Amino acid sequence: MSIKTAYSTKDLPDALADLKTQSADCRPRAVIFFASSKYDPVELSRQMKAAFPEACVAGCSTAGEIAGGKMMTDSIAAMFLDEEIVGQTALAVVENLSGHVTVRDAFSQMERELHAPVSSLDIEKYVGLVLVDGLSGAEEALMERIGDRTDIFFLGGSAGDDLKFAATHVMADGGAYTNAAVLLLLELKRGFDIVKTQSFQATGKTLVATAVDESLRLVVEFDYKPALEAYAQALGVSPEEAPSLFMKHPLGLMVDGDPFVRSPQRVDDRGILFYCHIKQGMELEVLQATDIVAGTRCAIETRKATGVSVSGIIDFQCILRTLQLRAENRCDQYGAIFSGIPTAGFSTYGEAYLGHMNQTSTILVFR
Amino acid sequence: MAGQIKHIIDTIIEKRSRGNPTIALTTKTKFIFKGVNPDRFDHTSADDPGLIARVRAIGAEMGVSV
Repeated sequence: MSIKTAYSTKDLPDALADLKTQSADCRPRAVIFFASSKYDPVELSRQMKAAFPEACVAGCSTAGEIAGGKMMTDSIAAMFLDEEIVGQTALAVVENLSGHVTVRDAFSQMERELHAPVSSLDIEKYVGLVLVDGLSGAEEALMERIGDRTDIFFLGGSAGDDLKFAATHVMADGGAYTNAAVLLLLELKRGFDIVKTQSFQATGKTLVATAVDESLRLVVEFDYKPALEAYAQALGVSPEEAPSLFMKHPLGLMVDGDPFVRSPQRVDDRGILFYCHIKQGMELEVLQATDIVAGTRCAIETRKATGVSVSGIIDFQCILRTLQLRAENRCDQYGAIFSGIPTAGFSTYGEAYLGHMNQTSTILVFR
Repeated sequence: MAGQIKHIIDTIIEKRSRGNPTIALTTKTKFIFKGVNPDRFDHTSADDPGLIARVRAIGAEMGVSV
């Protein structure tokens, strides 16, 4: 058994016994878990490491879990990767995200564990997972620092807390952290692919951010007009009506036609607050929502159609997508996309792949 | 003078990617996340000193000096 997934809705410590039973035929080299905020993070992390002492163990709190073809809440979802899949592992914690974000010490730590500079690693064999405090507001800086240092692909998500917006946690090898990120480097012997899917199409209408407060993720002006007015004008609606369209019409930072979604959060008296930052001068495309289930299914089926094996999947799924699926009562349809594939994942407060984004699923496909 | 910005960006992407097209694309994406879209510049783009400094700074952040 190369990759196994398990989940439990039991409380601690019974949940750990449950996970151990479900993974009994696996000797994991790495364990990745995603857990509801109902679990005490300190105790959960300690017990996870105690249960799998020989494995590299990393996880985070969530706003919903994904495992076994199901979207769940109040549970722990876990993925177990054995030596057929994983070679080397390296784990590091980046602390104090609210200060000046630096990943130098984390990379030094990982290099000590790998006995090699990260720059020397094969980008087709090594992949990085990043789990970050979802209330830190530091995801952009973190991803920039990581991207500056390495060409290894890092993907992941921002930890959640079941929409309480009080505290999110990341966990690594028995420790639990807030205001921090966990970086997990994995050597994947069979290789991997990354799927980024967001269910939107471009409208051809663009907005240029001409005044922003980046630290607040606030856009004051688009096209030298008040942000809400310009956004509403692009959609052909009144400024009063525009906020009701935020979910269906986020903005896309376009790279060769592929949008990296920036989602409006709410109107502020100075402009529009987003769930991720927009830099001054950025040109963004107004997007139009399409079907999440159909879009994700297409992305997975397209990947399957390459004929390269799919041994497992980790899905970092935006909570905004999950909320929409819940509202439409389509969580079962979404979960079914992954049926037959060992899958774990969680509903995030933001997704990571090259940068920070919203309303997206960033998906690691194990070959 | 014109075209310096494109030249500097192209040089950074070339040095960083060392001919690997995947890394060239991700480096371009990283530029865009940093607020500079390489596609907006060509050989006729004016040599804005502020932008030239910004692009050089991005190169330095990526460990590439130009």
